[in-house]
Amino acid sequence: MSSKAVTPDLPKHFQGKWNRRSYHVLRELGRGANGTVYLVSQDGVRRAVKVGAEGMDILMEVNVLKSIQQGRDSKVGPLLCDVDDLVVNGKPCTFYAMEYLEGEQLDRYIQKEGEEWVPVMIVQLLARLDVLHRHGYIFGDLKPENIMVSRTDKTVRLIDFGGVTKLGNAVRQFTEEYDRAFWHAGDRRAEIGYDLFSAAVMMVRLTVGKERWKSSQSGPRHTGLLCDIIRKSDSLYPYRVPLLKAFHGKFATAQEMRAELLAVLRERTVEKPQKKASAAAGKAGGGISGLFVASLLLLAGTLYYAWFM
Amino acid sequence: MKEATLRQILVVTDGCSNTGMSPVAAAALAREQGITVNVIGVIDKSEMGEKGEREIREIAEAGGGLCDIVYPQQLAQTVQMLTRKAMTRTIHQVVNKELKEILGDSGIEELAPDKRVQVAGMVDELGEKSSLNVVMLVDTSGSMKPKLSAVQQAIHDFSISLHSRSGKSRMAVGSFPGKHKYLDIRIPWTDKVEQAHQLTSDLTMSGITPTGPAIVEAIALFEQDKLPSSLQERYRDEAENDDMNGSLRDHVF
Ligand SMILES: Nc1ncnc2c1ncn2[C@@H]1O[C@H](COP(=O)(O)OP(=O)(O)OP(=O)(O)O)[C@@H](O)[C@H]1O
Ligand SMILES: [Mg+2]
Repeated sequence: MSSKAVTPDLPKHFQGKWNRRSYHVLRELGRGANGTVYLVSQDGVRRAVKVGAEGMDILMEVNVLKSIQQGRDSKVGPLLCDVDDLVVNGKPCTFYAMEYLEGEQLDRYIQKEGEEWVPVMIVQLLARLDVLHRHGYIFGDLKPENIMVSRTDKTVRLIDFGGVTKLGNAVRQFTEEYDRAFWHAGDRRAEIGYDLFSAAVMMVRLTVGKERWKSSQSGPRHTGLLCDIIRKSDSLYPYRVPLLKAFHGKFATAQEMRAELLAVLRERTVEKPQKKASAAAGKAGGGISGLFVASLLLLAGTLYYAWFM
Repeated sequence: MKEATLRQILVVTDGCSNTGMSPVAAAALAREQGITVNVIGVIDKSEMGEKGEREIREIAEAGGGLCDIVYPQQLAQTVQMLTRKAMTRTIHQVVNKELKEILGDSGIEELAPDKRVQVAGMVDELGEKSSLNVVMLVDTSGSMKPKLSAVQQAIHDFSISLHSRSGKSRMAVGSFPGKHKYLDIRIPWTDKVEQAHQLTSDLTMSGITPTGPAIVEAIALFEQDKLPSSLQERYRDEAENDDMNGSLRDHVF
């Protein structure tokens, strides 16, 4: 039995065995290591349904989604809507239905909108991670493919909870490029620093683009390579201190890293406008003003956050 | 309280066996003795070939394990994932069997989903805490040569994964074909593989691929592993009765 592509194709229409909700399958959204995700319609409402052949893995994801559902924390990932079984080719399969997150994967979003968005998105991401961490989990398999930017309000949400691991256990799933152990910077025990390391690598990867990144990937890996990239990149250089701290596990919480990135971001948004305007008038203009608004929103968010605590 | 010990053989290969006993039969034999067999096919640009793919699938099926076919770059993460998933599966099966005994016919599938979510949490915890012994069998026939540095990386990397678990974990590494036998033990049972370990030094590159015999020899490693050799004879029977079922029963309920 293969670990992949074991999900049988869904019928056009199906009904859950226990809760008896009916679903119409609209199209496949994506296929991965743990299952397949479909866009469906349930009573005219669009939902995403994840089906996998290994029921236990699917149920573990449900476990985590459930525990982060409460109140304003729900923004971490999609809302959980239903957990049930269906029968495909006479074989019972477990599935769950969740809120359909309309938007784009973070890497595609950055590719389209420009690398200026990277710090803004990472800062948002860290707020999400902080919530997850406070529930006693780390995300584990942090990578651009598992982060969605919602189409309407440009907020980031985590998808794919297959790597989510209880603090202290061994990380359940990872991707080498973003994995601390693979960079020889630690082990795979689930600690907050594991996620923060991935977040920092992701920031580098998203800023330099796919080609640059690929070309720097040959040979044995160590964080020195990442430092080289940061040194050579005008966009990353200002963030070198928080990035380095993340590589070396110096942050105790996602909130700490977020605050340091935000401080740099704030400084840059204040000093930047004139320089940038002359360099990149025209096309970039819209993007930058959009970005500026997003940064302002973030700053407002911090205040709100501080107020709340 | 006794702890469950999970035993796995992980075969890393790039093609078909061509010598000795059928690897599928060997895998069935392993499974019979409570050892799960997982297989990873490593390919370069070229395809695996239908025959190779089928063999890989059949070995894993007979061995009660999982398989995957990947590029060398993905090897490390695949080793970890396959191992973990196979572990979850084994525990799931055992728990399911226990449930059937308690609830009559119905196993986990008959539980309502919200109850099953709880079982899943338990299965996951058990997976984390139980002891795990893995023998990695590396195909070192001629065609594997360009992939061996990736394999070596993956071995060291796997050792990190094992180290990160809460449960006790050990691994051993063998390569086939061996110099004089079908299998050479490259790294005896250990709980940590140093990065400096060189798999490529002192290798016999040859055209034969004795996957089946290598699996059979690996089974013997587990027998050795159970008790110190001085005690092996005396306690053999008891050791064999102490299968995973029994110990898991104590652990779960
Ligand atoms: N709630 C959702 N809303 C919209 N799209 C989604 C949602 N959940 C998943 N998707 C899409 O489906 C794809 C596959 O989902 P997911 O990552 O959960 O699968 P997986 O089997 O865990 O894959 P992986 O190999 O990354 O572990 C995602 O990349 C995403 O594009
Ligand atoms: Mg994914």
